[in-house]
Amino acid sequence: MRLPPGVTSADFSDAIKQFEAAIGKEWVFTSDEDVDLYRDSYSPLWHEEDEPIPSAAVAPDGIEQIQAILKIANAYKIPLWTISTGRNLGYGGSAPLLGGSVVLDLKRMNRVLEVNDKNHYALVEPGVSYFDLYRYIHERGLKVWLDPPDPGWGSPVGNCLERGGGYTPMRDHFDAVCGMEVVLANGEVMRTGMGALPGSKTWQQYKYGFGPYVTGMFSQSNFGIVTKMGIWLMPEPEAYLSGTVTVSKHDDLFPLVEIFANLVNSGTLRATTLLTSPLWFSPPNEELDALRYSGSVLGLEDYAKRKNIPYWSVPLPFYGPAKVIAAQWEYAKEKFSSIPGVKFEDGPSYRFPLSADELAKMTDTVPFGIPSLQIFSIMGPHGQGHLGFSPIIPMTGEAVLESQKVFTQVYRDLGSPGGSATTFPIFSFFARAFVNIYLFPIEHDVEKNRKTREIYRRLIKESAARGWGEYRTHTTFMGDISDTYSFNNHALRHFHETIKDAVDPNGILSPGKCGIWPKRMRKVTA
Amino acid sequence: MASRREFLQIGVAALALPISARAGLSPANSAAAGESARAPLYKVIFDERFATSRAFAGEVKRLGAPIYGIKGDITDLWFNDLDARWKKEPIAIAGLTEHGALFCLERLAWDHGMRVVYRADHTYRADGYMEHELSGSEAMLCEAVNLSSSGTDWSNRVASLLTRCPAVRAQASKLTVVTPAAKQPGDPNHLVSWVIAPVGAARKFSRS
Repeated sequence: MRLPPGVTSADFSDAIKQFEAAIGKEWVFTSDEDVDLYRDSYSPLWHEEDEPIPSAAVAPDGIEQIQAILKIANAYKIPLWTISTGRNLGYGGSAPLLGGSVVLDLKRMNRVLEVNDKNHYALVEPGVSYFDLYRYIHERGLKVWLDPPDPGWGSPVGNCLERGGGYTPMRDHFDAVCGMEVVLANGEVMRTGMGALPGSKTWQQYKYGFGPYVTGMFSQSNFGIVTKMGIWLMPEPEAYLSGTVTVSKHDDLFPLVEIFANLVNSGTLRATTLLTSPLWFSPPNEELDALRYSGSVLGLEDYAKRKNIPYWSVPLPFYGPAKVIAAQWEYAKEKFSSIPGVKFEDGPSYRFPLSADELAKMTDTVPFGIPSLQIFSIMGPHGQGHLGFSPIIPMTGEAVLESQKVFTQVYRDLGSPGGSATTFPIFSFFARAFVNIYLFPIEHDVEKNRKTREIYRRLIKESAARGWGEYRTHTTFMGDISDTYSFNNHALRHFHETIKDAVDPNGILSPGKCGIWPKRMRKVTA
Repeated sequence: MASRREFLQIGVAALALPISARAGLSPANSAAAGESARAPLYKVIFDERFATSRAFAGEVKRLGAPIYGIKGDITDLWFNDLDARWKKEPIAIAGLTEHGALFCLERLAWDHGMRVVYRADHTYRADGYMEHELSGSEAMLCEAVNLSSSGTDWSNRVASLLTRCPAVRAQASKLTVVTPAAKQPGDPNHLVSWVIAPVGAARKFSRS
């Protein structure tokens, strides 16, 4: 039997017996076969000694059982790694950061407690998946949309807590959170925002309550176990339309992004899109490959002109009243028309609800609030996995070009000469800044994964040196990224640690999550 | 049952033809699969985009098992069918698909006490042959010996094999068979055939 670090075999056996007594033997998983299901399918440490494998898993059915588990874990100082549904692929899946932790699997807490299509919110437990919530809404004919990530088999609670991004105007998932119920390490149950007011009528309508706004402290953290979450939903829009803006010259990027940022920050453009260079996604050929590698701006411009390929493009999705979004697209075209040679192309438009025929013809349902697993069908023959390096960069043309240059150089320095194309596209998952998602394949090959980790860590450093930080990462790199948020001798980390020590003195909740270690493990990991 | 990773780590690789030469895996023993209780198949999944998978589905249908076509994506299968079916009762499915479909279905099945009990990776080689890497119970591997005599008609043999899969947990066994193969236009280089079936005491979150 694997053991949690620092826990004796005898103590762990006692604890397991107590877990079984508290929640039922069938919900305590200790066999290697069962526990291995919690390993990270996309682990960059696959087959290596350092791959963090849990010692056991427990699956409570509600708050009382969580409290019983916490009491036992506190008594034996057993680290618990909380998961909602454990679909967090690319970021650690359901595996803990600290090997030997006991996975606290909240999948059985799967009730949709409320969906309100008059004030447009849901109240859900962590084991509810996007599919579950979509089914609940769909079966009742409620006029609200959720905003699934892609793929959409995970938990809204889990994804919001990890500050994931979607595609509709509700794309910033943590921004949509309104009120939580949290079980603290000592077993106390707390509600945030208006939920602290007994009998509150606005727990899911007003975020802040009174006093310090602490809801955010439970995202990307290990300060408590979130057992209920309010999530704002989008009223079903009347219509959707999209259009694409293309420009032909390299330096057109600067006005393109400036106008784009104005549209985003003024609220004209509210949904996720991607800025890309069609040149980077054109089918490879010898001439284009050489130009891409050289980075010759004049050469690429000339190639684009000869082949009638735009240098840059950005599709603009609009959701809302038909007349309003038509006017928004017209307004956007007017603004972008200041760029000489700019071209516009009308894209698909829909009225909602979609007919069954329209749905059947749709190649990608995710931007329309419908969860999907389709992305797994386009991952290649083996699809062993991937992880993303995803720094937040300023929404400027200068930052886009600099980040591409820096990341390409790192990739080449470390022996992957063709890597620059993967720095595109640039996503707008969040308002006011870009996310530059740089995907690495994860393979069942120890040496390749070691190389990936080396490149990844170098990217973190190069990125931080230029003032760019990651918004989220795989458990393997949480410490590295936390290290870069180091202003004033790691003042923020010290604050996190002070809170951690106060609310979880035995350090049992998700040790190491986002670089936050409990006091008793801090020296070992420093 | 060993996990698939352990399978790859500790499995016995039999890398040469004829595999019938391997002790304990002779065709004479292949009756074992038929003698064991077969896993009743709720649906056999095929990928409509690929000629080989369509041919496989035709043979499955001829053998009397229900088929379900996808185009790579299992969302509809999951959302409109399996989710409700498996909540009611875990029941086996099988398929000849790309890896992505199996990846999703395997993980969704885990929560219902089901596991991949048989898997074969079929990879076209540049020399006109196909490599079939199989892992599963010894009974299934004995059945799979027949692949070596299937010529280019391997998908029909796979159909027969999957519909005869015993409802037993896979052993830590693995072997490779190489057969002639005529790649159909549009077929991917790699397909995978598989059976997902309920496994006795495995972890599950659905309760009948």
